[in-house]
Amino acid sequence: MDIAGSLLTGGIAFVQNIVGIVFRPYETYRRLVARRSLWELVYLGAFLAGYFALASVVKTSAFRPFLLTRQFVVLAAGAGATYLGAVGMIWVIGKKLGGKGTLAGVMVGWGYTLVPTLVWFFATSLLYVVLPPPRTTIAAGIVFSIVYLIFSATLFWWKLILAYLTLRFGLRLDLQRIAIVALAAVPVVAVYSVGMYWLGIFRVPFL
Amino acid sequence: MRDATYQKFLHRWEQVTDLPPQTVGPFTPYYKRAVKRLKVMPWPVLVGISLIGAIGLYMVLGSTITLIASLLQRGF
Repeated sequence: MDIAGSLLTGGIAFVQNIVGIVFRPYETYRRLVARRSLWELVYLGAFLAGYFALASVVKTSAFRPFLLTRQFVVLAAGAGATYLGAVGMIWVIGKKLGGKGTLAGVMVGWGYTLVPTLVWFFATSLLYVVLPPPRTTIAAGIVFSIVYLIFSATLFWWKLILAYLTLRFGLRLDLQRIAIVALAAVPVVAVYSVGMYWLGIFRVPFL
Repeated sequence: MRDATYQKFLHRWEQVTDLPPQTVGPFTPYYKRAVKRLKVMPWPVLVGISLIGAIGLYMVLGSTITLIASLLQRGF
């Protein structure tokens, strides 16, 4: 198949998988990891680029091309390095624990876990413009805070399910070994998060 | 027609039996019951857990909960 054909097929599969991970995550993940088409990640990359462009405008608060471009490059490089680091870490630890699977499968699986991350960051950026913090302690502020925390926590649980399914299908690990991978990853993620915070790239890790 | 149906069944069978079922010792029935709700349309469970968590946090922290929301809102 030529590049255009692969992109078209990847695009259709991407839309199907996005719908699938919302309504039928288990079945969808089994299929997308087995298919392991890296072309689907092109579309995810395009959405991420769209978000970084928006976040650059919101964060920079000035329409200066140099500052906007610099911010965009910093965010994209930070997210790209995080993605590769996370996949590499999962792959190495998972393999050491006897995992079987392909790197492409893990890459595609972890790629789709960025969907909840992207939704949260996108919504938070828009809310930052529409309802900028800090929240007040009056009733409206408290209600908004509770709703926002419910929204954030729901996406976090969704992310956890997708991350679990990446390890389950991507490396064929059982629950016990998935828990070991998660425990081994916690200190690395903690150090990474502090690093990203101090560098001023992401305050909440873009995992 | 029967061959096509059989092939479809075979493919599905291989897909399902590809991974050994997850067991967690004596807790396996509870695990299966909990996971069943997360495999298809997990949103009611996810929103429910988050709702309980957020209200619980509000009951513990009171209006300080707005501080957490403010911090998260600056987190992008």
